[in-house]
Amino acid sequence: MLNYIWIGLILIGLFVAVGNDIIDEVQNPYRNGEPFVSTVLLKKAPSGIRQTWEGDLVAPPDYFNGFYGTQRTQEPIRQPAVISKSADGTASLTMNITDASPAWWREMAKSAGSKERLLGRVVEFSVSEDQTSARVQVVFESIRFVKLKAVTQAALDYAAIAVNIALGLIGIMALWLGMMKVAEEAGLLQVLTRILTPVTKRLFPDVPPDHPAVGAIIMNIAANMLGLSNAATPLGLKAMEELNKLNPKVGTATNAMVTFLAINTGGLILLPATAIAVRAAAGSSNPGIIIGTSIVGAGCATIAGIAASKLLQRLPRYKKAMEV
Amino acid sequence: MGEFLKNLVEVISFIAIPLMFLLFLGWGLIKKVKVYEVFVEGAKDGFNVAIRIIPYLVAMLAAIGIFRASGAMELLITVLAPVTGLIGMPPETLPMALMRPLSGSGSLGIMTELMKVHGPDSLIGIMASTMYGSSETTFYVLAVYFGTVSIKNTRHAVPTGIIADVAGMLAAVWIVNLLFR
Repeated sequence: MLNYIWIGLILIGLFVAVGNDIIDEVQNPYRNGEPFVSTVLLKKAPSGIRQTWEGDLVAPPDYFNGFYGTQRTQEPIRQPAVISKSADGTASLTMNITDASPAWWREMAKSAGSKERLLGRVVEFSVSEDQTSARVQVVFESIRFVKLKAVTQAALDYAAIAVNIALGLIGIMALWLGMMKVAEEAGLLQVLTRILTPVTKRLFPDVPPDHPAVGAIIMNIAANMLGLSNAATPLGLKAMEELNKLNPKVGTATNAMVTFLAINTGGLILLPATAIAVRAAAGSSNPGIIIGTSIVGAGCATIAGIAASKLLQRLPRYKKAMEV
Repeated sequence: MGEFLKNLVEVISFIAIPLMFLLFLGWGLIKKVKVYEVFVEGAKDGFNVAIRIIPYLVAMLAAIGIFRASGAMELLITVLAPVTGLIGMPPETLPMALMRPLSGSGSLGIMTELMKVHGPDSLIGIMASTMYGSSETTFYVLAVYFGTVSIKNTRHAVPTGIIADVAGMLAAVWIVNLLFR
């Protein structure tokens, strides 16, 4: 199943990206090859050998929206730009794209040759008599295959993120595994396990009630409910390792593992701290109002997950996968 | 009552980890365990576990990254938008429901964005934050947890996870509509 979901995500992603880029080729939303007409308020005239003008490129919002086809901006455009003329008479325009730039140009710069700049070929450039402004017609560099570029970038970025996440886990993982080992040797986990045996026996009938896996599972669920995700993940991984020791068929998920994961993906948490923090930051009058609703939502998810794992494990196809 | 519960849980989540350290190590001391040596012995595995999950995590996150960057999400939303009205779900929250199982940072971004646009105390804001709290990043959990024990045949884990996610999202829509509409 994970096979199909995985290849599905990738294939759908690639097909949609190609489709979007083909639509872009037809509709040309970036106006590749068409001249953008505007005025440059000059600040710095050319000096000496280098033929460069610096100034602000200005355009009314109506023209900008008309040129790019939709309501892209409300504000008048005022964008710093540099125009430089080379020896053979051709001129080029460079704009440094910042947060102050129009959103659509920021979008275009993302897929341009350089992420912080948008380049253009100047087709017409005439400086006014008083040297304070210039009329300019500029064809910006062609923006194409936006989605395919984004998809490639995402694949590379996320691969790096995955490694960073894993490396970041090394420290806390070691810390909690060390703590767990002490608790195990001291017999603390066994005490915890014995208290909760009536519950765990029903949830994980395949796991002996005094097995170390049960202790790790209890610790993981407790950490999850308290919102201690730094502790929950290492404890959960420890629980998976212990559960795997009971696995008759290495490389295949056992019933207990799936039930355990169902509890984890349900994400039952007594204090959804992240959501509350975001609400408070957004100026909510009562950030904690979602505690109750989140518990209901996550409670339903957890119950549905446990029930689904118990029912699905009886299906012949999943039973067969477990046969040694 | 709600305020009291919130404060209580907040305090617990601050003192829980120091308390756990104290309990674990203190109990070990009483039981005459050589705490330092045993701790180091257990901690040795930390490196191996973290390294073992890398291939699983790379596979999962790269696929999710490709899906997100392609604009397929927008397409899916256009297809599903007519259905959401039937269950009382504002169409604005649909990206949240779809992103939640795939990406933690992605759904966090969507939640923040929705609150900025619609306000945190609007129906949409409350529903988005409830949805965020109603589920975990299922596919990330699957990749990491199964990765540590090198499970390749996940059997019914994926359908189970998806059922739990759908149930969580529907429950979030139901309870928020019931209380705040």
